[in-house]
Amino acid sequence: MMHRLASVFLAVLMAVAVVGYVVGILDGVPQPDGMRPTALIAKFDQETVDTNPKLIPAVSYAEIASTPMGPTKAWQSLPQALPQPEYDLYTKIEPSKEEKEASSKLRASRRAFNGAPPFIPHPVENTSDAACYACHGKGVKIAGLTASVMSHQFLGQCVQCHAPMAPAPFQDIDASVDSSFIGLPAPKEGIRAYQGAPPTIPHSRWMRENCNACHGGPNGWSGMESTHPWRTNCVQCHAPSATLDQMPVPEVVPMLSPLDVVTN
Amino acid sequence: MMDPKRRSFMKSTAMAAAGSMVAGATSLPVIQADQEVKDLSEVDGLNWHKAPCRFCGTGCHVQVGVEAGRVVAIAGDKAADVNKGLLCVKGYHVGGILYGNDRLTKPLLRKDGRLTEISWDEAIEIVAKRIFESPETFAFYGSGQWTIPEGYAAQKLMKGGLANNHIDPNARLCMASAVTGFLATYGVDEPAGCYQDLDECDVLITWGNNPAEMHPVLFSRVTDRRSRGETVRIIDIGTRRTRTTDAATDYLEMQPHGDVAIALGIMHLLIASDNYDKSFVEKHCNFRGPEETTPTLQGEQISEDEFRQRIARYTPQLVEELSGVPADSIRMLAELFGNREIRITSLWCMGMNQHTMGTAINSLVHGVHLLSGHFGRPGDAPTSLTGQPSACGTVREVGTLAHALPGGRVVTKPEHRQQSEGFWNVPAGRINEVPGYHTVKMFEQFTKPTAEGGDITTMFVQVTNPGQTLPNLNKLFNAKEGLDDKFLIVSDVYPTATTQLADLILPAAMWVEKNGMFGNSERRTQQWFKMVDPPGDARDDCWMTIAIAHKLFEMGHAGMKDKDGKFIFAINADDGKEIPIWEFEHYYDTNVDKHLFEEYRQFTTMKHKNLAPYEEYVKARGLRWPVVEQEDGSWRETRYRFSAFDDPFVKKGQEFEFYHSSSEDGRAQIWFHEYAPPPEMPDQEYPLWLCTGRVLEHWHSGTMTRRLAPLNRAMPTAYVEMNPEDASAANIRQGELVTIESRRGVCELPVWIDGRGRPPRGTIFVPFFDETKLINNCTLEAHDPFSKQPDYKKCAARVVKQTVAKKTKVKS
Repeated sequence: MMHRLASVFLAVLMAVAVVGYVVGILDGVPQPDGMRPTALIAKFDQETVDTNPKLIPAVSYAEIASTPMGPTKAWQSLPQALPQPEYDLYTKIEPSKEEKEASSKLRASRRAFNGAPPFIPHPVENTSDAACYACHGKGVKIAGLTASVMSHQFLGQCVQCHAPMAPAPFQDIDASVDSSFIGLPAPKEGIRAYQGAPPTIPHSRWMRENCNACHGGPNGWSGMESTHPWRTNCVQCHAPSATLDQMPVPEVVPMLSPLDVVTN
Repeated sequence: MMDPKRRSFMKSTAMAAAGSMVAGATSLPVIQADQEVKDLSEVDGLNWHKAPCRFCGTGCHVQVGVEAGRVVAIAGDKAADVNKGLLCVKGYHVGGILYGNDRLTKPLLRKDGRLTEISWDEAIEIVAKRIFESPETFAFYGSGQWTIPEGYAAQKLMKGGLANNHIDPNARLCMASAVTGFLATYGVDEPAGCYQDLDECDVLITWGNNPAEMHPVLFSRVTDRRSRGETVRIIDIGTRRTRTTDAATDYLEMQPHGDVAIALGIMHLLIASDNYDKSFVEKHCNFRGPEETTPTLQGEQISEDEFRQRIARYTPQLVEELSGVPADSIRMLAELFGNREIRITSLWCMGMNQHTMGTAINSLVHGVHLLSGHFGRPGDAPTSLTGQPSACGTVREVGTLAHALPGGRVVTKPEHRQQSEGFWNVPAGRINEVPGYHTVKMFEQFTKPTAEGGDITTMFVQVTNPGQTLPNLNKLFNAKEGLDDKFLIVSDVYPTATTQLADLILPAAMWVEKNGMFGNSERRTQQWFKMVDPPGDARDDCWMTIAIAHKLFEMGHAGMKDKDGKFIFAINADDGKEIPIWEFEHYYDTNVDKHLFEEYRQFTTMKHKNLAPYEEYVKARGLRWPVVEQEDGSWRETRYRFSAFDDPFVKKGQEFEFYHSSSEDGRAQIWFHEYAPPPEMPDQEYPLWLCTGRVLEHWHSGTMTRRLAPLNRAMPTAYVEMNPEDASAANIRQGELVTIESRRGVCELPVWIDGRGRPPRGTIFVPFFDETKLINNCTLEAHDPFSKQPDYKKCAARVVKQTVAKKTKVKS
């Protein structure tokens, strides 16, 4: 047991190191203190390292402080993954009302109104698409935290729509505003035609094409999960709203004129 | 037979319904843009209506969700061709701009130094009296955020009513050099291409431009092509690394003003290697240079030989010396332009416009495209972007500039004055032939004591914030303080740096609290209806102008009458009775916007900027002019001007025709301008280049975006971006408060080493959005000789470490 824990711990540690390395250093992120020497990467890309993947570049003591720690090239090239909790598609799911409420509240706290792109709830030093995609492409669960899956197809420039937190030097500034804006709340549930009927989709599917981002899979919101995540084509049963999806909607549903029946 | 559009719509709907995240199965645009699409219908008490976004010049459409008289939600409008359902973080939160708790709701008059609530009747009377007593010393300072009808009403009041040309907009500070560049090159203003160029270019060159932050929806339109597997080479030419650089294939770091040398260097190589488009140049271009003694916008024609001789000295070596960009990179650019198999789009905005050689660099970049033949095919375009939602619609087209009249006319041409007097039905000779003061001059004359020749005594500012955005604020704005005979009237929605010195503050309605029309960067005219009521006594800017005009009319000012003695803004009801639109309770008895727009529309055909009737814009998500009526009565917009395949005004049988050519032969002008260094450069005393600009989260002077929680949370303060080595050398730490000093003023700012962008050694950058940290105290008012647009992008400054190091101030 101890052995297993230790290896899990080691794996997590290494994975964090890899993610930290890739996210934190490769793209030239300003370090918190800003005193970033510029030649970090160059050191790693020295010819000798390239020609002999097992070689770890030697540095002088003077350079140690400014030399990145990290895996060798050979290790980097192996596909790395954070160990994820096991997920059984067929586990019985019984979403509770309390969980749903808690999830809804958390979701609401991260957007100005229903339909607004959520803002980024954690510090980001690197706003490149690759950095966001590293966790939010497939979703990650780690140390009790969940990185949600993107609910829409890949779009470049994540921070075009998702506002980050304040930059590191300014995080202790009070950024509150004095506003009376009250945003549209999230809908609580869809309409069921009768007991047991699949509910309709109560929100726009625009930018929410991937239903599993919230409603299923290992990264769904608790209380909002589908009870049947193994089914793949959600809209087969759950009807979307043409209006909310900005489809051209006729004022009345066109029908053939009624039968012309002669009555006595 | 199913209509093909309908079929493609069904297909993409089916694809979207598949609902997976498979790359390539794009569910972005599902509705053809030119289809008439109604707003979303009511769902659960929520009503949706279309409106263009309030912020930048991109001109995205949003759907505004209104519930119980309040805006509660915003969605990207999928029917809009500009943004195809996507927005940026500002656009998504635009609804909140109406609801800051410090909205101005009452007219306020400064009495004995204190602001006092007064009634609208009093306020209008005070303004009218000041104008009546001294009409020639009155100036109207407007905006590229004016709606088209607002700008048109102001224009008519000033030039058609008061015979006073002292009307100028903040767009003078924003895109005046783009205008002079277009006029010098094509004889007529505004880009020939459209945003479709961004979908089709193989190479995108950003000239001193950071669209990833300033026009994010347009930039992601390009980068999203890459995620779909297309190859687009993005070449960023700039003075610092930005988010655009992050997406760029090549980054060419230049010295400030290096762009002039780079453009000349490309043209030199195209000619030296005989790799320019001879057929295009022979058929469609002339060569031009400035006159030796007194240069004008018109310039003088030079021969091709003369052009070759003048440009011969701009070898890659010299260009490297002048611009700092390696000679090989100049050769690379020239080779790309020499290749006619690929399509090249150039993008620029403030970097090339806020430039003491603004007209020159604009003309030169047009010249590079013309000389190389990269013009007029989709994807081949020199494209100038605007920073404000209606800089094109209201300023450039309505002509709310000190020298202009609507529809591309100028006050100095007798026939243009005559035509305008005709459309306005005012007596001949009403319009003054002498251009009024441009922005910098206007504020110089306003802040100079009357006794010393400061001959502007009353200024009316609408929809803009000069107290924050003028350059060299101490000279051009702050000097107004204490001048008792100068009267500043400010119409705005929130307290601003400008209202601090205002003598009279008028509370304005904003965005969807009123009807409006905007014109975006791609010649697209857009319309929206009022959706919610403004708070308190806030009222429409257009109404203010008309109410002031009517008060003057009542006082007997002759200029407020047309030839028939009627009020110049008179609107009659169907029964022939005049509607008293100057009384606010009757302002919405009719659609004033529609009446003004239909009157304005008559002006637009001379320069072939034809607009459709108002009702066509109600149906569309904007239409790009010229909009020309078809035989079947429908109205067709134009995507590509001067190109025969799309522009109905090009002569039959021609492939291209520049039908407003300044040489009157259907040709565009390829200009030569000599490189000149910037007017102020770093020296021992002030060793750093200071550049100013914007960030993604805040727009313009931040009056609106700084009242939105998600945006303020992301960018709570202005800052000074420093290179780590400069900071290290000055022993300055991250977050430390420092003083930026120039020869004109100081500004205290926290340091962000590297920061959002990463400046090279010797350069600092400060965004101007923060009203508590006015970097325009430091900027320079030196301006382009033709456009009169000042250069906010370069002056000399120093960073002074404070004796007692302070951390960034924390509120409460």
